[in-house]
Amino acid sequence: MINRNIHILFLGMAFQLLPVFVLADAEDKSIPAQEQVIQPQLERRDVKVPHISANDIEVGYYSGILSIENFSAESVKGVRLAYHVTEDFFLEGAYARSTISDEFFRSRAFPITGFDTQEEDLTYYNVSLGYNVLPGEIFIGHRWAMASAFYIIGGIGTTTFANENYSTFNYGGGYRILLTDWLAMHIDMRDYVFDSDLLGQNKRTNNFEATVGISVFF
Amino acid sequence: MSVNALNIMRTVIFFFVLQLCMIAIANPEENTMRVQVVDPFIELRTEPGRGYPIFYVAERGEWIEILKRKTDWFKVRTAAGKEGWVNRSQLENTLTEAGAKTTFRDVMLADYLNRRLEVGFGWGQFEKDPVLTMRIGYALTPNFITELSASQVTSAYSSSSLMQLNLMALPFADQRVSPYFTIGVGNYKNTPKVTLVNSPEISVTAANAGLGVRFYLTRNFLVRGDFREYMVPINDNTVDTFKEWTIGLGVFF
Repeated sequence: MINRNIHILFLGMAFQLLPVFVLADAEDKSIPAQEQVIQPQLERRDVKVPHISANDIEVGYYSGILSIENFSAESVKGVRLAYHVTEDFFLEGAYARSTISDEFFRSRAFPITGFDTQEEDLTYYNVSLGYNVLPGEIFIGHRWAMASAFYIIGGIGTTTFANENYSTFNYGGGYRILLTDWLAMHIDMRDYVFDSDLLGQNKRTNNFEATVGISVFF
Repeated sequence: MSVNALNIMRTVIFFFVLQLCMIAIANPEENTMRVQVVDPFIELRTEPGRGYPIFYVAERGEWIEILKRKTDWFKVRTAAGKEGWVNRSQLENTLTEAGAKTTFRDVMLADYLNRRLEVGFGWGQFEKDPVLTMRIGYALTPNFITELSASQVTSAYSSSSLMQLNLMALPFADQRVSPYFTIGVGNYKNTPKVTLVNSPEISVTAANAGLGVRFYLTRNFLVRGDFREYMVPINDNTVDTFKEWTIGLGVFF
């Protein structure tokens, strides 16, 4: 028993010394010590990363009614460009045309407005920041579900009519319905505030606008 | 505008919008990227928003295809065909097809850092009158930005407009709060209100110098404040100086 164990022990030690013989041989026969028997075939996968298209930019057209305090309510048509920064905030730039009429004053022979003609062109442009307060989903019947959001919006801009520029604040709210991922419908209500001195004294006027619009996401 | 011209304009605008719609439909999503889920699971929602319900969960090891992006949400399709929206934070640890070397986060970061075009607006005061500025800038290097700005000043007596080309130097461009110095040159046009003031309309070349600070709210959205002094040569002997400060927002593309 002991003999057999000693034999095993000696055999084990001999096996331990094997690499020493190999190393000793290495110097003489110039075989590399750590020779890799298998060369792994590593193919570096060249992945071309495609650009992921983003649907953040919105281009739209809207139309509605703009009412100018003390004057008239006329139809307004405009275009808007919006950039959705996060799911909550978006920036919007708008440009629209309408008209303004001083028929009320002319018909009563009050020559105070200084308009060249009864109906003058009105244009406004502004930049606004919007916040999607209540995102959600709307359902039509039992088959259609569309993402929607109620938002509040405010901004600054300029209104121009009768050869004068008026620095304008605007604030309001609206409702956006996403008919598909890339098509949206808007209902928007805004108040445009600017100081007007057309009727003699400087007065802060509130001018309401209600519009419906359609826009496309890019 | 005559009724005919109005009708034509309406038709043109309608067809223009229709064209845009068709372009949006007609482009099939061939540019898709495949990533593998590394986290225990990622959640797919029905719409791109944090309030929408989770209707599917993709497990670790699943390959998903990224179709498009809307703000911070990505529309993905799993191998089984389920399509839903995943938040950017949940996709950041997924692996691209290149393996463990490139995560999705690295890919998106490189995309963000390559954005050079900045568009913004500002509002403030130009010598006590309100001013609205629209700006477009291009980053030549991370520390130098050229910017074209168009401003409109509305006052009781006149209306001024400025178009300026500026160079901005940002010494600490990679910090969240980044101050800068700017100089520029451009055009200054002043149109007095004829009924009130009897002065001529002037349109001259004006120079400006200023300081500002940019505060990055997210990687591509910033708030900025500017202070500028404009030097306008009214005639051969006088140079008027106007001070302007504005606060504005900007986005990177």
